[in-house]
Amino acid sequence: MSSVDHHSSPTTRWVYSLEDADPEDVALFGGKGAGLARMSRAGLPVPPGFIITTRACAEYVATGKLPAGVAEAVRAEVAALETETNRSFGGGPVPLLVSVRSGAPVSMPGMMETILNLGVGRDAAVALAEATGDPEFVLDVTRRLHKGFSEVVLGADPDAVDEAVANLGLRADGMPFAEAFDRYWACCRQAVEDDVGAAVPADPWAQLHGAVMAVLRSWNSRRAVTYREHHNISDDIGTAVVIQLMVFGNLGSPSGAGVAFTRNPVTGERALYGEFLEGGQGEDVVAGGADPETIAEAAERTPAIFDELARIAENLEFAYGDVLDIEYTVERGKLYVLQVRSAKRTPEAAIRIAADMLRDGRLRPSAAVAGVSADHLRWVERPRFDRADLEKARAEGAVVAVGIGASPGQVTGSLVLDSERAVERGNAGKELILARPATSPRDLHGLIAAAAIVTARGGGTSHAAVVARALAKPCVVGCGAVSIDETRRTLTAGERVLKEGDAVSIDGGAGELLVGSVRVSRVAAAGADLALLMDRSDAASGCTVLARVTTPAQARTALERGAAGVVASIDNVLATTGQLVNVLEAVGRRGSRGGALTEMREAVAEAFTPLLVALDGVDIDVRAIDVRSDEAGELVPQALLEAAPHLSLPIGDPDLLRAEMGGLALAVEQSGYGSTPGLVVRRVSDPLEARIIRRLGEELAEGRRLAVGSYLTSPRAVMRAADLAEESEVMWIDVQALQAAVDPRRDIDAATYQLLEGVAEIRERRPGCRIGMWLPGRVSDAIAAPLHGLGFRLFAVDPDEVRVARLALGKAAWK
Amino acid sequence: MTRTEFEVLNVIVLKGMCRTGALADLLALPEAAVEETVAALGRRDLIGRAGELVLPTDKAEPALVAYAAEAYGDLRSDAESDGLHERFERINAQLLQTMAAWQQIDVGGHKVANDHSDGDYDEKVITRAAKLVERLKRIAGSLGEHDPRFLRYGERFDAALDRVDRGEREYLSSPGLESVHNIWFEFHEDLLRSLGKALTE
Repeated sequence: MSSVDHHSSPTTRWVYSLEDADPEDVALFGGKGAGLARMSRAGLPVPPGFIITTRACAEYVATGKLPAGVAEAVRAEVAALETETNRSFGGGPVPLLVSVRSGAPVSMPGMMETILNLGVGRDAAVALAEATGDPEFVLDVTRRLHKGFSEVVLGADPDAVDEAVANLGLRADGMPFAEAFDRYWACCRQAVEDDVGAAVPADPWAQLHGAVMAVLRSWNSRRAVTYREHHNISDDIGTAVVIQLMVFGNLGSPSGAGVAFTRNPVTGERALYGEFLEGGQGEDVVAGGADPETIAEAAERTPAIFDELARIAENLEFAYGDVLDIEYTVERGKLYVLQVRSAKRTPEAAIRIAADMLRDGRLRPSAAVAGVSADHLRWVERPRFDRADLEKARAEGAVVAVGIGASPGQVTGSLVLDSERAVERGNAGKELILARPATSPRDLHGLIAAAAIVTARGGGTSHAAVVARALAKPCVVGCGAVSIDETRRTLTAGERVLKEGDAVSIDGGAGELLVGSVRVSRVAAAGADLALLMDRSDAASGCTVLARVTTPAQARTALERGAAGVVASIDNVLATTGQLVNVLEAVGRRGSRGGALTEMREAVAEAFTPLLVALDGVDIDVRAIDVRSDEAGELVPQALLEAAPHLSLPIGDPDLLRAEMGGLALAVEQSGYGSTPGLVVRRVSDPLEARIIRRLGEELAEGRRLAVGSYLTSPRAVMRAADLAEESEVMWIDVQALQAAVDPRRDIDAATYQLLEGVAEIRERRPGCRIGMWLPGRVSDAIAAPLHGLGFRLFAVDPDEVRVARLALGKAAWK
Repeated sequence: MTRTEFEVLNVIVLKGMCRTGALADLLALPEAAVEETVAALGRRDLIGRAGELVLPTDKAEPALVAYAAEAYGDLRSDAESDGLHERFERINAQLLQTMAAWQQIDVGGHKVANDHSDGDYDEKVITRAAKLVERLKRIAGSLGEHDPRFLRYGERFDAALDRVDRGEREYLSSPGLESVHNIWFEFHEDLLRSLGKALTE
């Protein structure tokens, strides 16, 4: 919006009731205002109210003055509220209290939040005490007004008010309420004045005015300005101000407040779920501490109210196509819906909900799958203690201490008692569990080096817990039974004395410290819900996702976890049988003399036969040895590379490649694999190299042929991909290596995608050549979407990422 | 121990290990001066060096405690100091809760990692954290009247919050960065040592 639009005409309307506001006009009414307008228009029982438009804010920001007519319009809307609700602002018999909120078209930091309970003056307080029959409650509302207003509008320390009234120890009984109120007000007022030298106005209209002005001013708060500057959001759009009737869950009976979920957010079960606090105010329920009953229990007393809530929940869920969390209040039997949001849910619930809503047709596959994130999948597939092994350990009394589970996860490691040692031993590659009496800032290095953390002192929100969660490491705090002797280097838990270096295990969810190790495994199989979502994703993406594996066990797990096939490298597979360096030494130093090539062929055949057996006929593409790959580079001695420099070239020794091809072909025969593996050579960039590889492949006997081709790692190679494909039956591209060549400091970016443009189309001209993308590490929607968009349909990823990749590719296809 | 030696050693002990360049940045001192001070501390066996890293020896903390008892005697006897400490602990508890809310969301009584997909929720938490940090800065300001080095915490908080507002959310709680939580964690320990109070967790 340009500044020209700000010029107001005498007919500009600044204030709209929720019913009059256009829900589509987020620019004028802000996100919050438009949302309330939509709910109001849909017939939901939202507390009535009105909105001061963003345009009024823009005008205020431009001129420093509230536009003429705003104050009058606000008074008129308040009057309308008074009529509608049969209450009066600032007086009795039933006083009208309102809340004020900011609501910009885009959410941003630094904007003023909610100010509640505006409209409490002496007259209103006396009337409210009368109406509720609960003078303590009115004093509490007074306290909350002072606390909220002084913190948000005046920048005071909210605790100042709480402390002052606690010291006052004032109760309403034993004196006329008006007198109690005056003393209470004076006490709050003094506390705020002492703190910031200003006070909450006693006049209800001045309170309302002050709150509205604070919202408008917050538009130009330092944090909001920084945010807009950085996100290229215009300073001219302004924020709306939403003013709404306060409803009371403690006014008469039946009254109360609660939060409802349209489905169970923990399990995903399809049933209205939530709680109700009879006689409670919304804040009490949200803040916790009180002891609410379940909705099911409450519904037995007042079924009509909860029938209505259930009906509303059902309609809302249908309209939003999502599970919702509904904040509601019942005032004298009338239900009000205060807020509706997309419900937060556990990863388990997210998957069940998506599958259920897909099955009953409530969501299309694209929308259902959109409700499940990569993090959800990683969570349900996370490594955890083997159940039987854990039960056995428990039965043997392995649990030596129980504290507060501050950060979830289950790990086994060796005990370490100070941070310096954790750093030393962690650098040596050990899985460590760091135990400390308490944590100090200098433990940060140790916390970073350790796999998990245990502390004797501290609560669920201690510094240690904050750090552990930020690092996503399991953490148990407040193990009162644990004491640590730093000089003897022992940890004592009850009667057990553990030494540094002993094996221990911790469960950061349950808060348990166990002595000894517990086997950790990953859940491989998908439940029916996850399988359904995966099927739909695959159908949409048309993609095949392979997993990078090295051992037969890994291959079996990868297939259980939904990989369509696997990729493997000869260097890695030979490394697991301990043969890699031997046979390379032999070939490198003796060349084709003395049976070195036969050794190589047989070593490859021996190593690959069990892997091919495990595959049961599904696809495998194999990369030939590359001594310059990261994996082989760590194992192959530098002296050998210097003695046999040709090994470092892609086809430096054709005999070596012959032996690898021969070995793989032999493994196919020995294993009864029954299909044709691919074999690619890394760092190929010239079509002549690809031709040599093809010819070497053609030397294999008829019936023992492999699909041979190239593995591209450089921009130069990718630019010649079409020519390379002419000579290749299979081609893989290492996307990360490509990015490293383009710009090593960044995640995969536009320049790399640009380089890959047109590569996928090569398949049309050369249908005999399959083209795959190797994506090491974590797969994200942000990486999958452009690659899918470029037309790639074959991917290889780490085994843990198979389902994540399938889901991400499905989402990419629906985009 | 000189005044500068105390300041440098204080940061080394708070950090556990650090480079001299980082010390100079944190203290806003020239690197040469820091190098010189570190060398002096080394001669007195208060710090050791491992490559580029400076680490405190076992003698470092007692030396700091002794220096602080001397240097902050009047601050400790000031009636205001107990109030400052109480206020800090109160804000500390609220800020820890706010950090927990940033990292984990309550779902029907279960804690679930915050995946930061709800911008409104995140903004609310950040706003709350920023407010609490403003209150910590006031405490740093009050302490700064006794010793201006405390004012540095205010500047560090501002720099971290600026980054958060520019969208670098990891500057809220990441342990590997000059994050709000790291600064406040150090401030907490520093304040306790300066006022001669014990750490409660």
